[in-house]
Amino acid sequence: MRIKWKLTVASFKMYFRQREAVLWTLLLPLFMILLFSFVKFDRLGRIDLGVVNEAGDRSIGLIDALRKVETLKVVEGLRERELDQLHKGERDIVLVIQPSLQLGAHDSLTAYVNSAKPQVAQLGELVLQRVIDELTFDQLPVANRLYLKVEAVKGRNLTYIDFLLPGVLSMSIMQMGIFGVAFSFVSLKKRGILRRLWVTPINPTDFILAQVVTRLVVVMMQVSVMIGAGVLFFDLHFVGSFVELFIVGMLGAVVFLAIGFALAGISKSEDQVAPLANIISLPMMLLSGVFFSRSNLPDFVHVVTDYFPLTYLADGMRSIAIDGASLVQVWQQLLGLCVWSVVSCAVAIKLFRWE
Amino acid sequence: MAETILEVRNLMKKYGDLVAVGGVCFSVERQEIFGILGPNGAGKTTTLEVIETLRSIDAGDVFLNGIDMRKKPQEVKRLIGVQLQSSSFFDKLNLVELLTLFGELYGRRVDPDVLLEEVELLEKRKAKVGELSGGQRQRFSIAAALVNDPVVMFLDEPTTGLDPQARRHLWGVIKRMRSEGKTIVLTTHYMEEAEELCDRVAIMDEGKIVALAPPQELINKLLSGGFKKQRVERLANLEDVFLSLTGHSLRED
Repeated sequence: MRIKWKLTVASFKMYFRQREAVLWTLLLPLFMILLFSFVKFDRLGRIDLGVVNEAGDRSIGLIDALRKVETLKVVEGLRERELDQLHKGERDIVLVIQPSLQLGAHDSLTAYVNSAKPQVAQLGELVLQRVIDELTFDQLPVANRLYLKVEAVKGRNLTYIDFLLPGVLSMSIMQMGIFGVAFSFVSLKKRGILRRLWVTPINPTDFILAQVVTRLVVVMMQVSVMIGAGVLFFDLHFVGSFVELFIVGMLGAVVFLAIGFALAGISKSEDQVAPLANIISLPMMLLSGVFFSRSNLPDFVHVVTDYFPLTYLADGMRSIAIDGASLVQVWQQLLGLCVWSVVSCAVAIKLFRWE
Repeated sequence: MAETILEVRNLMKKYGDLVAVGGVCFSVERQEIFGILGPNGAGKTTTLEVIETLRSIDAGDVFLNGIDMRKKPQEVKRLIGVQLQSSSFFDKLNLVELLTLFGELYGRRVDPDVLLEEVELLEKRKAKVGELSGGQRQRFSIAAALVNDPVVMFLDEPTTGLDPQARRHLWGVIKRMRSEGKTIVLTTHYMEEAEELCDRVAIMDEGKIVALAPPQELINKLLSGGFKKQRVERLANLEDVFLSLTGHSLRED
């Protein structure tokens, strides 16, 4: 036990004395967020409109008309769900078509708008009112105009950063695992440091354990720094639990650390590690929903990317951090990561070579 | 009668079809400095690496202090101190931290300063290995090999790449370790080093020992066979010139 502890302490010293590497690990992802914060992907003029149709067939004309408006992205749903989405910032406006709707009876429709996004709400109101007016122009006298009753709801103004930050956080956990471990172990191997260790009565597992523990702590630091800086400087809408984020983050780290060890096992030099590490990490970086939503990807790509470990990690982290999901609610991601960690650890044990 | 501390019998090591060590026999006595000489690729390092528990034994037996290495390699590890050829140490820990850590690996709490004193590196105690000169590095790896107070020390080409002063200095360290009761097995390319240091040498070629005796005995045997050097023996050589011009003191700090 004492040896395990001493090895872990030594491993910490060694890791944190690589000042540049530590800064790089913690600051590079933040720098990425900073760059992307200048890009306003969410201000492209699209309005997310939730429609709650409680009037059945009598309202179809209105919904069809709304769907024809290009600036609107119409989603139909139940009242409760749509209002919840409005709170979460997933909808800008929710229009409720009540069962008692009667054209020509000086009736009104209720539109709940997200007051956290005033400009979008205002624009949305105008668009909605115009569509309603156009639709009812020839049917109703001006006096019996169908009014839009607006109610402001304090929802969240989710921005691109809210999407991006958990993704980049997951990605940096992946990079730390794959690149960090693979490079440092290949270097230990190449410089004969491991050989020198194996002539002592060291238990190799203790040594690996110390390395893994060190990096799991680094993951906790990454999570804390990223979320902390996100809330302080980037207006991140963090509603999750740190403990749960740590758990998911570390589970993901185990997967990627094992991949790193496997790569270190089959490589003799840094030159061999680099391309392998890139081949594995690049597709995940681009297709696992780190920088943009996977819903933009074609279906046949989904079939594969749904099962990437980074997809599970990024989705899990995002649900917990931004939607306040609990571990139980992200069970699918947890399960995926568990399966991956078993698979990758088995591969690592098979491939890892000390020499 | 001297006590045998290391016994190697018919040791074989193959890499595929290549026979690196082909049935080597020798024994080393307590407090002896035993040299293994030979050209590159003769199997010196492989022989050492097998005895150091780094490589498995294909055939033959190795007994260290009476312990069968094939059966109890872990016990052997505790009794030996090893300096590997061209191996390094963690570069982010200083000398004191490294020695402390290596001591812990043997379950020992060592006093790093005593070990550093032993190899005359006390003033470098807070330095990193990367900041040491070649000679200092070799001395440090001897200090690291001493953490478990080993019975036998294995030094693989300890003076390769060192300047004449640093080499002589290291010879002093090795002789002192022997006088303190250690048994030392070393490999070298330098014949004058073997002559100066070793009680007995084994000369290896192509994985086999071709001669094994004290250096002077080997020389006498050669001379008695009628051997004569082409050139007349000079009373000094270029190394003597170099040392008389540059002094015997170390120049590494």
